[in-house]
Amino acid sequence: MKSNNKFIKIAVPVLAVLLSFLVGAILIACIGGNPAQAYQYLFKGAFGNLSNFGETVVKATPLIFTGLAATFAYKCGVFNLGAEGQFVMGACASIFVSTTFTGLNGVSLLIVSLLSGVIAGGAWGYIPGILKITRGLNEMIVSIMLNYIAILFMGFLYTGPFRDGNLPQTAAVTAKLARFVGNTRIHAGIILALVLALVLYYFLFYTSKGFQLRAVGLNQTASQFNGYPVKKLMLLSFIISGAIAGLGGSVELHGTQFRLMAGFGDGYGFDGVAIALIGQLNPVGTVVVAYLFAVLRAGATTMQVGTGLPTSVIDIIQALVIIFAVAGSAFVNLPHIRQFLANLSSKKAEEV
Amino acid sequence: MEFLKMDGITKKFGNAYANKNIVLSVKEGEVHTLLGENGAGKSTLMNILIGLYQPTAGEINLRGEKVKIDTPAKAVKFGIGMVHQHFMLVEAMTVFENIILGTTKESSAFIKKEAMKKEIRELADKYGLNIELDKPITEISVGAQQRVEILKALYRGAELLILDEPTAALTDIEVIGLFQIIRKLTAEKKSVIFISHKMREVLEISDRITVLRAGETIKTLDKEQTTATELANLMIGRELVTSEYSKVIQSGENVLELDQVSFNSSSKHNGICNLSLNLYKGEVLGIAGVDGNGQSQLAQLVTGNLVPEHGTVVLKGDRVSNFVPKHFIDSNVSHIPEDRNKMGLIGNMTVKENLILKSTEKPTISYGKGGFIRKRAIKLFADQMKKKYDIRCASLDQEIRNLSGGNQQKVILARELEEVPEMLVAVHPTRGLDIGATKYVHDKIIDARDQGCGVLLISADFDEVLKLSDRIAVMFEGQILGIYSGQNPPIHEISLAMSGKESERSSSNEIK
Repeated sequence: MKSNNKFIKIAVPVLAVLLSFLVGAILIACIGGNPAQAYQYLFKGAFGNLSNFGETVVKATPLIFTGLAATFAYKCGVFNLGAEGQFVMGACASIFVSTTFTGLNGVSLLIVSLLSGVIAGGAWGYIPGILKITRGLNEMIVSIMLNYIAILFMGFLYTGPFRDGNLPQTAAVTAKLARFVGNTRIHAGIILALVLALVLYYFLFYTSKGFQLRAVGLNQTASQFNGYPVKKLMLLSFIISGAIAGLGGSVELHGTQFRLMAGFGDGYGFDGVAIALIGQLNPVGTVVVAYLFAVLRAGATTMQVGTGLPTSVIDIIQALVIIFAVAGSAFVNLPHIRQFLANLSSKKAEEV
Repeated sequence: MEFLKMDGITKKFGNAYANKNIVLSVKEGEVHTLLGENGAGKSTLMNILIGLYQPTAGEINLRGEKVKIDTPAKAVKFGIGMVHQHFMLVEAMTVFENIILGTTKESSAFIKKEAMKKEIRELADKYGLNIELDKPITEISVGAQQRVEILKALYRGAELLILDEPTAALTDIEVIGLFQIIRKLTAEKKSVIFISHKMREVLEISDRITVLRAGETIKTLDKEQTTATELANLMIGRELVTSEYSKVIQSGENVLELDQVSFNSSSKHNGICNLSLNLYKGEVLGIAGVDGNGQSQLAQLVTGNLVPEHGTVVLKGDRVSNFVPKHFIDSNVSHIPEDRNKMGLIGNMTVKENLILKSTEKPTISYGKGGFIRKRAIKLFADQMKKKYDIRCASLDQEIRNLSGGNQQKVILARELEEVPEMLVAVHPTRGLDIGATKYVHDKIIDARDQGCGVLLISADFDEVLKLSDRIAVMFEGQILGIYSGQNPPIHEISLAMSGKESERSSSNEIK
């Protein structure tokens, strides 16, 4: 039964991706392109050579962080739609630390700066969390609104106190995350992201606190009746979720962008939510899907250059993946389909 | 004349037969009872009749014509209406809105309220269904909600009414009222399929009785030609062994004392008003009473899920100041909650995980406080529990929502009783279970009592309370109306108290 469930959890997103590419191919054919050629360019752009592969990894890194942030909150039954704001606040804190504590040397400055990102993101996640558990405010609305505040605050920073020269942007940070693969832009952030995914996986599935957190996510009433501090766990998961996103912002700043400017972190929060859902709310699945999204983003430009097809085709494919994955998850939960799948697995068991 | 004939109905789920070659015929104007244990196939058969399931084989005839009922809407069209055991009412809406909900009688875009209300009132008067159309569902009693359901079905033109355990939540007086309604229905040539376990009621109201067992029709009998014993034997396929538990009288140490406790006391159905109560070690105190007289609130107060507004709760000699479930759990209080799916179990978690829900931080389960869980130890523990409590499941890694109600309850018992508690709060512990599982649960409760556990048993099943309790307290509108000995309990007095008569009598005494 469980293996059957696991199979479905993997099959649904895989089928969703295949279907999206199929529908995408029809779409490309409709606007007069050659689907095979387009996909060839897409994958060439994503993995064709080392530097292309590197770009994909660089693009995947922040998505892994926001995806993990969304996954973690969802697991405890709270919806953090504010990963973008937490991401941005993390980066803002890092810029502040990097430009203020210039007395520190490279590595320690980097560590302090990343930690400040964690704290700022966590604090930004604390706000919707505490408002939810003490005042019953809807965490989705509060966290979305906090996104705007964070983005405008970042705008204030790079146009005001931290403006560097004529352009509306901050100075580049001096402490940078190490790049370690040839001359690609892959930086140590990806290692942090992967380690974090594993840590979260172990936390959720191998520790009793993680167990309690998942229990709260699946049934709050039963968790309360069984003595779990439901509200505390919800607040905790919001803070940790925010901290993950904040670290992501800080890593993006120190590893890829180096400075804050308009558009920093744009869309990462919501992509993170989609990635978490397609990844079946599993930290490992989240990493895989984040990488897929990065493939689409990285390959899109190559495809446009190679075939003349607009990159928005890829945006459509990405949207299709989301639709098919969500629809697929809902579909397998329909009573008739559940019954059918149960029959199927019992038949299989019989044959064996 | 025969209204309904279900012939050779077979329904397979996978390889299991839920129904096998069932024959059921219902005459016009007859009350036909379906009798059988849980899992005998009654629900499946009714779900086929109302179009939720399609039979694997067999046919349904209405007034001699073969019909195919493939949607619930079709069933309504054919004049089949069902009153489910758990009512399907929109609580926030009024009675009137609930009745017209989803009807397509009206062809105009606007709802002609007055005309419809008039029609509904006429229908209600005809069958003696006393209801207030403009009250919201939340403000009317369970009995009235049931009448709304019946009226809803009649308004949709039901000729055949299926009543699924309609008396489960009613007081004796409400049951009499329901039976009057049923008699009026049959006098008007409507047919009723009555589903119940209670022999006395079955024998009182039925014209004919069909007994199902393990998915098959065992026999259809006329009421006049049968007895309760015969029916019970047919139903369970063996002689009914009534196990009588010995009763004890305790007067020693209190494990729990409530003094003048109030919660939401203005509500008659969801509150507690100046309630005082004590529970001795090693006894079963049964709370009898009709559902919705504050029993849920009482259970939640003594497990830390609600905070009382007034009064004191003393647990094992210490006054409780911190009303959180964890405090009670740490004080060795176990709880079999009233709604096992909502409050007791996490449906999407596995059997194994549900077994350790309360003990995730115990050193046997995890290292440190909240640290890594010991998967192997958990598996061993779960295997032991599976054997000891006879939990029947394909795998311990199965999601618990796929288990039957009885096995789900056994998981809760294993979790709550494995480490003998000092106090057990058991709320409707056997609701929805079959006879075998019920006996198992009862045995376990008595075992716990004999090991010194104080048991607060709250149940809407009066027979259960009588069977298990050493003392019986009757709860009515948030108050205790009397405490009686469990040995030779004065049943008549208790049932009067359950309908609130005690208070009237005592108040009239005061006047004298």
